[in-house]
Amino acid sequence: MTYLLTQLANGLSYGLILGLIAVGFVIVFTSTGVLNFAHGSVLLAGAYLVAVLHDPIGFWAAAVVGIAGAALLAVLINAVLVRNLAEANPGTAAILMLGVDILLLTELTRRIGNRVLTIGSPWGADVFSFGGITLPMSRVIAAGLAIVVFALLWFLFARTGTGIAMRAAAADGDTASLMGIRLSRTGAAGWALAGALAAIAGIFLASFPAPGVAPTLAISAFAAIPAWVLGGFDSVVGAIVGGLIIGVVTALAVGYESELHFLGRGLGEVVPYAVMILVLLVRPSGLFGRKEAVRV
Amino acid sequence: MPDPLLTVDDLTVAYDGAVQALRGVSLRVDAGSVVAVLGSNGAGKTTLLRAVSRSLGTVGGAVTGGTIRFGGQDLARRDASWAVRAGLVQVPEGRRIFRDLTVEENLRAGGYTARDARARAEATDRVFDLFPILAERRHQRGGLLSGGQQQMLAMGRGLMTSPKLLLLDEPSLGLAPQLVEQIGDIIEQIHAQGTSVLLIEQNASMGLRVADRAYVLEVGTITASGTAAELASTDDIRDRYLGVGTSSPTRTTHEDEPVDVPVHLRRSSTATAQELRVEDLTVRFGGITALSEVSFTVAAGTIHALIGPNGAGKSTCINVLGGAYRATSGTVHYGDATVSALPSHRIADLGVARTFQNISLSLEATVEDNLLVGRHRVMRTGTAAQALRLPNARKEERTEREAVRRIAVLLGIDAVLDRAVHTLSYGDRKRVEMGRALAAEPTLLLLDEPVAGMTHGESVVMADAIRAVQQELGLSVLLVEHDMPFVMGLAERITVLDFGKRIAEGSPQDVQRDPEVLRAYLGTAAA
Repeated sequence: MTYLLTQLANGLSYGLILGLIAVGFVIVFTSTGVLNFAHGSVLLAGAYLVAVLHDPIGFWAAAVVGIAGAALLAVLINAVLVRNLAEANPGTAAILMLGVDILLLTELTRRIGNRVLTIGSPWGADVFSFGGITLPMSRVIAAGLAIVVFALLWFLFARTGTGIAMRAAAADGDTASLMGIRLSRTGAAGWALAGALAAIAGIFLASFPAPGVAPTLAISAFAAIPAWVLGGFDSVVGAIVGGLIIGVVTALAVGYESELHFLGRGLGEVVPYAVMILVLLVRPSGLFGRKEAVRV
Repeated sequence: MPDPLLTVDDLTVAYDGAVQALRGVSLRVDAGSVVAVLGSNGAGKTTLLRAVSRSLGTVGGAVTGGTIRFGGQDLARRDASWAVRAGLVQVPEGRRIFRDLTVEENLRAGGYTARDARARAEATDRVFDLFPILAERRHQRGGLLSGGQQQMLAMGRGLMTSPKLLLLDEPSLGLAPQLVEQIGDIIEQIHAQGTSVLLIEQNASMGLRVADRAYVLEVGTITASGTAAELASTDDIRDRYLGVGTSSPTRTTHEDEPVDVPVHLRRSSTATAQELRVEDLTVRFGGITALSEVSFTVAAGTIHALIGPNGAGKSTCINVLGGAYRATSGTVHYGDATVSALPSHRIADLGVARTFQNISLSLEATVEDNLLVGRHRVMRTGTAAQALRLPNARKEERTEREAVRRIAVLLGIDAVLDRAVHTLSYGDRKRVEMGRALAAEPTLLLLDEPVAGMTHGESVVMADAIRAVQQELGLSVLLVEHDMPFVMGLAERITVLDFGKRIAEGSPQDVQRDPEVLRAYLGTAAA
């Protein structure tokens, strides 16, 4: 029983981190219509900044620089590359993003080499125990922080003029611009948010029990893609719920791998996609996706 | 004479660098006035508004000559955002509210540029004063409002920045006669509160009632202008835009005089129209009952109209007949088949074709290709034969193109067959949609607001076209429409819905005299 609870807690906290990444995919998609396959390397760039800066300027300052840096990098990708695309076509933009991802990842790999950089967080390898459940401290903090971030996002989108303008622009950009909303601004805000969320997730994905910042961190961001898709592609709530589902299922598949060995090894890597496909079979537009043609 | 608020001088606009939409248009809006622009579809009215509000770019248009000045400032280098901040706000055609945002959030988005929280709160209060129903439904999602309420929300959203000049694009589009009057009253109130209005309106009697001055725009040029009263008294305007004797049908029913048909359509099969029986039809969405035990019968080969206020359940009824919605209870029979139990592609196989209230066409494809899609049901050669361009496939393609051309001639869209649909005006798109439905050689045609957004003159042409295809193909037509002269002149039988219930049924003459119908729908306009 304790083992199950531990796995569940583990999965939920991992799921919240995936949620941070998946929400970034959603916001970029709704604000500029881009499938952002460079999201993983933006995440890695943020984590890399924290890893190299925590020694000279301290962890907290490094975290701020890393988050701001990732946000800035995302805004630049949007301003320099996406907005200058001759044809506003989701396919073209997606392929462009794959290219950007390869470039960024190559450069970061060159800088990191085959080292594994420590993230230098004050919680280090501490563990947290409560009622027999033991979790890495980094996961507990990640879960708490993610919940705070999601609450702030809710406040932004439901209560502030900027957030409502972003939702209006996502729903119908042409009409939104007739209200004086500048689509270039809402787009930049979307990319900046996504970059910042990715960097936060990156810090925790590089914390204990993970060894630190290595190029493979960019790949781990792709684990959020099934969460994004099964949540419904354009729904922030869907991305969070999707993250939790994928997190829990992955943790259970890994935790009970020895009992599930008839399914083969490395089940944890396959299970997110299997869950995604199952959900899409039942609900083709995802759990929270906008249904096409509500009123005909 | 005060300086004009808006001056448009010799404006030319082109789309995609080629299609000339406006050729040398000049007009002026004085501060504190209401100016109406009348004109048929494709005349360039929406283009004119978009040029003024600086939003042409999003639809691929560009100003190629002339100037627009607002409050003395040249707008040439200004964008939409600047225009809104300067007090120039456009309410787009088709309402375009944000469906997933609540009423309050829609208004908040409209007031985005008003940075001062107090000014925003005052503007919200003013909008709620003007539209009390919006205050009542402030926490509901915009998509759940009825058509009339959505129009009010769109106008309220435009007023949130307290603009100096409000540009209204077809505010009465698709609204019931009573609501059209109400929208007219609201425009007068907005004007009385000190906002000038530039209004585009197909409903010329409403437009000329509220306007001080009016312009007539035809194929990209201004052909007439003057005070509203002057224009309303000219014969040309009366014939083409007002429709003399608006309150009574001017045409006789179709049995008396066969219509001149420019081209003849032929059926490729021997299918004939059947009787359509709707029995005790009930449709519920969540907790809302959209239709409640509605019954009526459309006799084979007749034209039947469904009328009623916005939100009465008319479109819901069409949607059940076409298979887009499921009936909660009750049945629909077409001949021997039970339509209410079939998926929509099987309903199409029965010979039922439809058009949509919110036009549903492939925007990037040409008109011809859109019509050819409609032929899918009657085409015989298979995909492989077509891909390999086998002789019989090529022959079929030639005959199909000819069939499509004949439909286009009949509907008056043959000149635009090669144009992409997104370059067409709203009314022309309506015709293309009807053409696509006809291309499938239906025996029952369901038309959802076929003349919404058309001038009186254009709706007369459309009525002739519908009557012509009915005679040529012997089909039944069930239509939903708010244009009363159109309905009264065309339909043989009318069913009136209100709040999802049938409140009257009969011939146009009976229905027009029914006190219940006058109260619920027609209002004083038809009395």
